[in-house]
Amino acid sequence: MTSDVLTLLKLDLRQSFRPSSVKGKRSEKRSSFRRLIPLVALGSFVIGISLIIVLVGPRIWSYVEGAVISDPGLGATIFNAIVLFAFLSSIMVSATTVGNSAKMEYLLVMPVSMRSIFLEKTVLVVLYNSILWLTIGIPIFVGFSLISAARLALLSAPLFVFMTLMLVSLGVSLGGLIGLIFTRLLAGRRALKQVGYFVLSGGAIIFSAYWYYSIYYGDSGGQVFEWLINLARSLGFSSNITPGYAASVLSLGLLVGLPLTVQDIVLALAFALSSFALLRANSILSERAHYSGWLAVGSKRSSKKLVPVLHPMWAPRAIPIAATNTTIGVSIWYNITSVRREARVLSQYLLGPVRIVIWIVLPIFAVGEQSLVLTPYLLAVALIPFAISYGVYFAGYEIVYEGKNLMNLQLAAANMEDYVKGKIYSALPFTLGATVVFSIIIAFLSQSMLIYLPAIAASSLFVTLASGAIAANAAAIGGDFKAERMILRQRGSAAQMPIRGWSILRAQFAPMLLGFGGVSLMLAVGFFFNPLFTYLVLPVFSIVCLQIMKTYAHGAGVKLAQIEATKYL
Amino acid sequence: MIESLGLTKTFSEFTAVKDLSFKVEPGEIYGLLGPNGSGKSTTMKMLLGLLRPTSGTARIAGHDIINDVVAAKRVMGYVPEEPVLPERLTGWEFINYVADIWRMPRGSQRQQDIEELLTLLDISDASNDLIETYSKGMSRKISLVAALVHRPKILILDEVQAGIDPRGAATIKEILNGLRSKGATILMSTHILEIAEELCVRIGIIKDGSMIAEGTMDELRMMAEGQRNLEEIFLALTGGPDMQRIAQYLRGSGESS
Repeated sequence: MTSDVLTLLKLDLRQSFRPSSVKGKRSEKRSSFRRLIPLVALGSFVIGISLIIVLVGPRIWSYVEGAVISDPGLGATIFNAIVLFAFLSSIMVSATTVGNSAKMEYLLVMPVSMRSIFLEKTVLVVLYNSILWLTIGIPIFVGFSLISAARLALLSAPLFVFMTLMLVSLGVSLGGLIGLIFTRLLAGRRALKQVGYFVLSGGAIIFSAYWYYSIYYGDSGGQVFEWLINLARSLGFSSNITPGYAASVLSLGLLVGLPLTVQDIVLALAFALSSFALLRANSILSERAHYSGWLAVGSKRSSKKLVPVLHPMWAPRAIPIAATNTTIGVSIWYNITSVRREARVLSQYLLGPVRIVIWIVLPIFAVGEQSLVLTPYLLAVALIPFAISYGVYFAGYEIVYEGKNLMNLQLAAANMEDYVKGKIYSALPFTLGATVVFSIIIAFLSQSMLIYLPAIAASSLFVTLASGAIAANAAAIGGDFKAERMILRQRGSAAQMPIRGWSILRAQFAPMLLGFGGVSLMLAVGFFFNPLFTYLVLPVFSIVCLQIMKTYAHGAGVKLAQIEATKYL
Repeated sequence: MIESLGLTKTFSEFTAVKDLSFKVEPGEIYGLLGPNGSGKSTTMKMLLGLLRPTSGTARIAGHDIINDVVAAKRVMGYVPEEPVLPERLTGWEFINYVADIWRMPRGSQRQQDIEELLTLLDISDASNDLIETYSKGMSRKISLVAALVHRPKILILDEVQAGIDPRGAATIKEILNGLRSKGATILMSTHILEIAEELCVRIGIIKDGSMIAEGTMDELRMMAEGQRNLEEIFLALTGGPDMQRIAQYLRGSGESS
């Protein structure tokens, strides 16, 4: 089984990392720069951290050593966070792999047990989830172990690697198992499944956002685990039984030369064995899920009885006011319908911006009480990431996910500018929804901002229009039109953005600049002069946004109309 | 030998394959024919161990497909109707990877065998290209190379000649005939009835998941009295086109532009 898993891993890794260029004439030749940039970036990052440790390490070593000696479980919170993040990001991984097993039929017919194939896919996810932690952690451990006087300090780095892989395996396999159990319970109940996906994905986003929050506000950043620890305590366990504690006490203990206790080693071994057992359970359950057909797509099943299908009148009009012509109307309908039918995608799109809001707003809060004066402003601009993201997702990403459908649009000689506009307009109802929610929050928390509310609400709609057009244009330039709308792509299971290279930066940052810059300017003139001035700037800002939309939607439409079939077929 | 022993597969309330039994002997090409959605691919997927039968079982070279599936897969080669391949590998890498999985010894002999197959099917020139750049026909050809590279005793081919150029189709026909004469067991499904008539020793026709006719061409002619070729036999047994509706559609469509 192990050799099979290793051979399968080789295939997947070969697909994802190809340092040498492909020789064939038909394949796109990528420059050495493009091929090697991920390795160079990774290497630079590792060298950067190593340098910092070499320069700063000797000065802070005595403090680090003292802190670890007084509390070897110091790193438990961070190590537990590794489990948590792996868990949250992997809830639907196994279910998705099984659900997409038709895409790896060439593997399933090979003389390898299906369990080995599913195990390899889980191991691959573990490796991908570990890269970040290992990239950060290895130079730190290697750097400090060179400074440390402890005899076995150098062993702390390989032990850290082992422990990280163990922690991530725990999180990934637990998440995968929960996802599979969840799909088993909901097998055949499409509507309930969609609601479940929405709630779980939404919950994961909110939970991870709360985790960031706890890092900024908590004493140790471990508040999320408090209830877990309390529960363990109430069941008669001590709080030192978490996998993070075991990882911390062994790796950091070895680094500073603390004697390892038998209990700690047994605890770590127990968690390591549990992670192996859970990985195996995951593969067994995945195989059962594959054979039982829990995850078979309902639409592929035929009805036992012949039921004559009566089609209602075809008149898709999602937003009648915006549907100025048939192409726009159809585009709006198609976009909203296709996103709405994938609850996971809908929740990622609608709640995903919470993560951006947290990163933008909380560091300012972390400054302390003096930043409280900024609260009303922060509440107001917290709406902007939503307005931008909805535009980027619904117009930018979704135009890429049209994929092969672009052929139909090109053959029908559809006006692609209108089609792009439809995609942009389809984001508006969601921005409007977010505006209502934020208006209620602002009305309760900051009455001083009430006067600006209509301006903020109106400007957020215009920001969505401009962001959508900018993102659609960037997508038309650098979109991977063969990408599929999945969190993990099956092409080697590598997570890839639908828009690549500089285009994704353009799609993300240009709208940010416009949104935050424009709204901040509008509010600033209101704060410093008179709220009336905000309403004088609003029409100007709206016209700018509309002009941007017009220009970029036209640009995107022209590019999409001219795109070659090889890009999407 | 392939033995299907009362294979049945149901999806919720829908029965895709009903109590299907047939046998394919070594040195025989068996054609599994039927209209779209009749259960051919589902049957093949059960034989390959990709789907588990709801009831019944099958044996591949004596290996049970439920209890001994890995051993059964080891003696089989399969070309799917729509090959989904690892797009980010080159053809050459993919075939070598398949050879590794089948534990073929590495070395010059293996390279020579692969090269020979690639040349035979006219894709040697493209073997260093990523599979994502391949046309449909090329993907099917590379899939056939992958199925043949480990010299399987048993071949399962789902629409193997669809989308292949005439030269490629003729090559495949010769290869299959050659393998048959060397004792290989071949099960194929196809909608190109001339190919089935020409290649297959015996033919099974399934409709709505059940076998409605089975035998050699002569035996099938006797079942469908008065019909001479396989197309006529097939249409007589499974139902021909609805001429009335066709006429109605053509009347409605008027002059084509």
